[in-house]
Amino acid sequence: MKGIVIGQYVPGKGFFYRVDPRTKIVAVLFLMIGTFLLNDIYQVIGALLLTFILLVIGKISFIKVMKGLKPILILLIFTFVFQILLNKEGALVLDSNLNISLINIAFVIGLFIVWRLLAKFKKFNFLLFIAFIVGSIFLFANVTISGDYLFTSFNFRIYEKGIEMSIFVVLRLLIIITLSTILTLTTKPTDLTQGLESLLRPLKKIGFNSDDFALIISISLRYIPTIFDEANKIMQAQASRGADFSEGKLKDKLKQVISLLIPMFIIAFMRSEELADAMGSRNFIPGKPRTRLHILEYSYRDVLVSMFTVAFFTIALLLRINVLGY
Amino acid sequence: MGYITIKDLNFSYNRKQNVLNNINVEINKGDWVAVLGHNGSGKSTLAKALVGLIEPQSGTITIDGLELTEESAYDIRKKIGIVFQNPDNQFVGVTVRDDIAFGMENLQVAREEMIERILFYADKVQMKNFLDKEPSQLSGGQKQRVAIAGILAMKTDIIIFDEATSMLDPSAREELMSYIKSLHDEGLTIIMITHDINEALLADKLLILKEGEVFAQDDSRKLMRHKHLFVESHLELPVALDVANELKDKKYDLIKETLWAYVSMK
Repeated sequence: MKGIVIGQYVPGKGFFYRVDPRTKIVAVLFLMIGTFLLNDIYQVIGALLLTFILLVIGKISFIKVMKGLKPILILLIFTFVFQILLNKEGALVLDSNLNISLINIAFVIGLFIVWRLLAKFKKFNFLLFIAFIVGSIFLFANVTISGDYLFTSFNFRIYEKGIEMSIFVVLRLLIIITLSTILTLTTKPTDLTQGLESLLRPLKKIGFNSDDFALIISISLRYIPTIFDEANKIMQAQASRGADFSEGKLKDKLKQVISLLIPMFIIAFMRSEELADAMGSRNFIPGKPRTRLHILEYSYRDVLVSMFTVAFFTIALLLRINVLGY
Repeated sequence: MGYITIKDLNFSYNRKQNVLNNINVEINKGDWVAVLGHNGSGKSTLAKALVGLIEPQSGTITIDGLELTEESAYDIRKKIGIVFQNPDNQFVGVTVRDDIAFGMENLQVAREEMIERILFYADKVQMKNFLDKEPSQLSGGQKQRVAIAGILAMKTDIIIFDEATSMLDPSAREELMSYIKSLHDEGLTIIMITHDINEALLADKLLILKEGEVFAQDDSRKLMRHKHLFVESHLELPVALDVANELKDKKYDLIKETLWAYVSMK
């Protein structure tokens, strides 16, 4: 677990690396809101192109951004499918009868087995999954054999607006995720924390201590690898005494997790006590003013990013309230 | 009055049994004192009391003429720092640079001054090339050196080492001991809490704690001649000293010359 990477930060020297984290946080927030204000597929395609231009300017690898999309791929697929199925506006594009019958189900099960047999080709996993879904729909729609026992049948209709809306929603999500990935790829977690702390400073007036908040976050980040290391050691110690974390019934697994969690908690509490002593001995007093080694400074890059954000947000807002007559 | 004066100090965690019982100690500026004792003798509690992390039930601690109270703790900690046993549990910063800065940030040292001191003290503990490294990329000995740099950067003149070598491998331990020796040579007051007599031998003065009480305190050379003190405190004398003591009883005073020189050199 040594050298574990917290967040998605990848060291680099592109344009966005040298933009102040406060500017980046605020800009991403407003660009996201701006994207949500767009209500037309052409506007969203325009925004997507702009986002790609941002990637090019920032010399950010497109592959890395795509990797950031992986965890939400299922969400994107579901959004796409639901939009297509549920939106019934505009002209009819596809009208087909899906027959759920005994032979068709058998075919689909056969297709499923083929799909799972091909699962070792991990590189094409996603394509194979799509092929399985499309293939299943094709089988249900087109295969009719006389004498087959029909369970049920329903109409499968795709409308023009359904396709448009599904692309619209997916592209919008794509932009938002790409924007947040730009932020996390180019900003160190500590800088993000410091930026947030600085932005939340006005909340001091209502009793929220942003200094302590930032310190808590940065100490948490600093201790994640240490705690993981500890978990590894405990797991190894328990494995040496016969515990098996990978096999067994769910009940056994839960028991093993508890046997891991209890020592973890005890150690974490002991650590926190010692850390509190170490901090106290170095004169840390919560709420007392401190000077800072790292200070955030604005540069011309921040002005450029701010101008772009304001322009994008304003145009999105004007388009939304239909002032531009578009 | 010593640079550090502990007078009639009593402390208990549960108010039933005292962990520290009527402690009276005087330490002069520039002294190197080793605090010896078996587990549970109150060594670490004494260290915590000295930096104001715990509040004694009675008695006083005075450092450089300033009595340690809740109000004066902030000023006292400008003079005294502590290196703890577990290198991982005292690393506050995300990087070496941040960790050295932590104490200075708390003391509100100006940024430019902070940058200068970080470079100077990181160089002093040979960690200048590791300033941007994270704690997970450092060894135990390196983390302890960073902790020392963080304390030195606060311009303290007393450092407590609370079993700081006990989690290190032999070579890192030897290296850290040589750092401690050089810090003492520069005039810093060192209080070293340990149960390793070999380490304690390097100190000028020994303070043996037993069940929360001062069992013995004197010049280390003098105390080493009294084997029974160590035996009664459940401590073990190094074999060499043991042999020397035996020979001395038979009129061969090896401690006086050869052996002392040998042990001190180590």
